[in-house]
Amino acid sequence: MKNPHTWRYVTVQIMLVVFGFSILAQIIRIQHSAEAKAILDKDPGGGVQTFYPARGEILDLKGHLMAGNKIVYEVGVDIQVLKENEYANANTIALAANVYLDLDFATVLNWMTQPPEGLRYVVLDNFASSDEEKALMDLQESVKDKPRDQTLEGLNSKPHLVRTYPEGSLAANIIGFVTEEGIGYYGVEEKYNSLLAGLPINVWVSADPNRAEELPNIPPGATLILTLDREVQASVEEILDTAVLNTGAASGTVVVMDPKTGEILALAVTPHMNLNEYSRYKEIFPGETPFDRAISQAYEPGSVYKILTMAAALDNGVVKPEDTYFDSGIILIGGVAIRNWNNTVWGQQDMIGCLQHSINACLVHVASLLGNDSFYSYMQKFGIGHTTGIDLAGEATGHLKLPGDSDWYPVDLGTNAFGQGVSVTPIQMVMAASAIANDGKMVYPHLVHAMVQDGRQQNISPQVAGTPISATTAHTLSDMLSISLEKESSNALVPGYRIAGKTGTAQIPTPYGVYDSSATNASFIGWGPLDDPKFLVYVWLEKPQTSIWGSEVAAPVFKQVVEKLVVLMGIPPDSVRLQTAGP
Amino acid sequence: MNNISHLVQKYRQASWRVQLQWLVLFVLGLVAVALVAGLYLSVSARAALTGREIQSLEATIRSGERVNADLESQLAALTSAQEMKDQAIAIGFQPVGPAEITYMPVSGYAPPPAVNMASQETHPSVLVIPPEYTQSLFDWFIERMQTAPSAAGGQP
Repeated sequence: MKNPHTWRYVTVQIMLVVFGFSILAQIIRIQHSAEAKAILDKDPGGGVQTFYPARGEILDLKGHLMAGNKIVYEVGVDIQVLKENEYANANTIALAANVYLDLDFATVLNWMTQPPEGLRYVVLDNFASSDEEKALMDLQESVKDKPRDQTLEGLNSKPHLVRTYPEGSLAANIIGFVTEEGIGYYGVEEKYNSLLAGLPINVWVSADPNRAEELPNIPPGATLILTLDREVQASVEEILDTAVLNTGAASGTVVVMDPKTGEILALAVTPHMNLNEYSRYKEIFPGETPFDRAISQAYEPGSVYKILTMAAALDNGVVKPEDTYFDSGIILIGGVAIRNWNNTVWGQQDMIGCLQHSINACLVHVASLLGNDSFYSYMQKFGIGHTTGIDLAGEATGHLKLPGDSDWYPVDLGTNAFGQGVSVTPIQMVMAASAIANDGKMVYPHLVHAMVQDGRQQNISPQVAGTPISATTAHTLSDMLSISLEKESSNALVPGYRIAGKTGTAQIPTPYGVYDSSATNASFIGWGPLDDPKFLVYVWLEKPQTSIWGSEVAAPVFKQVVEKLVVLMGIPPDSVRLQTAGP
Repeated sequence: MNNISHLVQKYRQASWRVQLQWLVLFVLGLVAVALVAGLYLSVSARAALTGREIQSLEATIRSGERVNADLESQLAALTSAQEMKDQAIAIGFQPVGPAEITYMPVSGYAPPPAVNMASQETHPSVLVIPPEYTQSLFDWFIERMQTAPSAAGGQP
């Protein structure tokens, strides 16, 4: 029997089939339509973004932040939005930039209305402070409902990090600075720039959420822990600044090092600047003024150099402490007569007396006993004429003329013996003297105590740079220097602590090949406590005006520094220390 | 013969029934396709949403890191050597000289160690993915079969 409603079912079936196929056809049509092709061809947005890791921090030995990062903002304008608004609010944006970012109104207006071809975004200020950015964004929010020409639509901001120095000028000459381009200059910032900066990573970031991928982990740059103690550094800088002011010196340098490890505990030089205002660099360091005299300025050290001559002679065995020398005030070497300072005649002196009175003729005599080969061999072992390898940028080599060099003359053996005709940097003197303070072992000076990266801390081990003299020689000379200070009733003596040291008063050579008799380099080098040295201090005042003598201007600075050091480093007086040391 | 033809004719499905069956089958197919398409759309939408959330969270992390660095620097500036010295002097402290210090031995005292910034975490955290996300139905079935207690009771 034929169902009378069959046609209805057939109709519904046909309709459904047609409907189903029409859906499929529509799907196929949409997928192959011009609009779909346009969407597929169109870049969904995004692009390669460079992610810069946060620059590594710099800390002092106790973990105080010396160099960190702070937020600043890139403020810019979306030109596309301005175009869509037919530049109705360009004047308003330029005015806001003028008021809040201190930018020139006409320049900003020109950037926005006549941007280079293809430019979609104009950066107005790359380093707007948080306050400036907040003020601008608050203003943008408050005017958003006003007529279009009074809004700040199109103005955007994006945060990023830049270097900041919480301690301002403290240890500025050691740390160096980072420019707006993110490049480190001078000091640790330059020496370890790559390590601190880390590795930037280029990543394609798509605006298509279907293509959103997890961004790779971008580890920050390495953190450096310095050997500096900020309290010691601050005290030494204060003492130095006061000394330079009081003596009228052209500049000053103080280096404090642990003679056993080579760790620099403090390094103060003048001038120094607030690192947050590094744009004033040329104003503070005019001409060829070195950023860090302690490592970059070689000079003739004068009598402090005599400790190296005496160390070489004692180690070589050509003299003993009790050996005598009759000083007539003048000595002939290489056909040239060399006189004592101020033509003083000291008569019969032992080697301690020679050091105590800093007798030039005596040290010339000692050097001549050593002879050229031995003398210069020892000086090279002490590292004179070579960089120390300290981990700071811009170290100078100094200059040590050697027999056979075109500019060396026989008289140079004599002048070199008391620190003339040879140029060294303060850090070279400190490194050389570490051999005398550290049982004959000379240590590399360094400023980085440890590096921290990926959660691991790598401590820097002390390294011995050589053993130019024996331990016996080192102890003997330290004793001689201590006795000479005590006999002299030196201004460097610190009650309760036995100190070894030597003054220096050096004439300054002029470009004309003669010495300037009106100005000197006054210096002092010393270490203590004598039986177990914890610090080695070098003081250099350039052209002091109140007195030309190292014993009168540099030795008191040494004393002040040591008085601070023993407190801050917790070093008890010798009597207490030896009493508690036990049998 | 006639009887047989009659019986076949009698028990043969009516044509409208066959058409109805085809229609239902077609609709079922259409529903299945619609379900798959809907599921695809749902999963795609959730993936897109999650992608956006990931991007947003990453931006939040970076922002947090920036804020941390900034606050750390602000804190360091507020506790700088000069600030601390000024504060100490303001509340009446004075720098001490070597002669003003009394040293006394304290047995067992150890000076504070140098700063150590190494991470205290010795083992990296391992992301544990539950087996539900890695195990196939067949694996689960085999595991259940092997681990189910026997009817006789007790396991060796």
